[in-house]
Amino acid sequence: MTIKVGDEIPELVKHPTTRQLVQYAGAQGDFYEIHYDQAYAQSMALPGVILHGLLKAAFLGQLVTDWLGERGTLKTFEVSYRGIDVPGQPYSCRGKVKKVDGDEVELEVWGENPDGQHTTVGTATVEMRS
Amino acid sequence: MSTRTSVIERLRARIGKAEPSTEATVEAGHLKRFVEAIGDPNPRWTNEAPPTFLVALVPVSMHLAEAEEYGKGWLNGGNRFEYVEPVKVGDRITATGRVADVYEKTGASGSLLFIIFETEYVNQHGRTVARLRGTAIRR
Repeated sequence: MTIKVGDEIPELVKHPTTRQLVQYAGAQGDFYEIHYDQAYAQSMALPGVILHGLLKAAFLGQLVTDWLGERGTLKTFEVSYRGIDVPGQPYSCRGKVKKVDGDEVELEVWGENPDGQHTTVGTATVEMRS
Repeated sequence: MSTRTSVIERLRARIGKAEPSTEATVEAGHLKRFVEAIGDPNPRWTNEAPPTFLVALVPVSMHLAEAEEYGKGWLNGGNRFEYVEPVKVGDRITATGRVADVYEKTGASGSLLFIIFETEYVNQHGRTVARLRGTAIRR
């Protein structure tokens, strides 16, 4: 299958829960209280506990590796966190092919909240097997 | 204001200096807990690390205690990973981090302190497997 600029990556919808945030805090070893302590998060002027940026990065990483499969290798993966996200609502991970240069493919990826805001944006470059 | 200025000065003095290295072995059990936590069922991750696993294996926290005199809390601005070779169960990884830049930005909602850090991950064969550049923000 030929990869073309503009091709869309199949959407990946995640359903983060507060339980998942605790699980992730333990697995990553990031015990910053804004991710599991509601009172602490509110004292920091947040609506409540929020997703770890790196958990959202992991979701987008899955988007890319699910799409790529064994067809190539991930070379770079960059994400910027533009907004906060809360558990209990779906998080849609989407992306499209931005550039194709021989075996090098650049993808634009983003995570969207239910209001359609791109709260995480990123780029991945992959090298396809020839 | 003077506290902020002295925090920035002290952090800037660390730019470019390698922080103490940390090392860890990729264990199947930890990898399993990590992929369960991110909810990625790809069977490939029973033996190989998914894209963001290195931050969990050898956390090189740039939540520097001395930056905490500035502002109230931390934000993660972004992360950039560069992959050189796959990381597999049994690999022994050494991570060395350094502060790459420190600067302050003042906007409508107040001042923010940006700490840019870079981490290099080297395996048991002495080969670099990945690099990470991150932005930690105090607000």
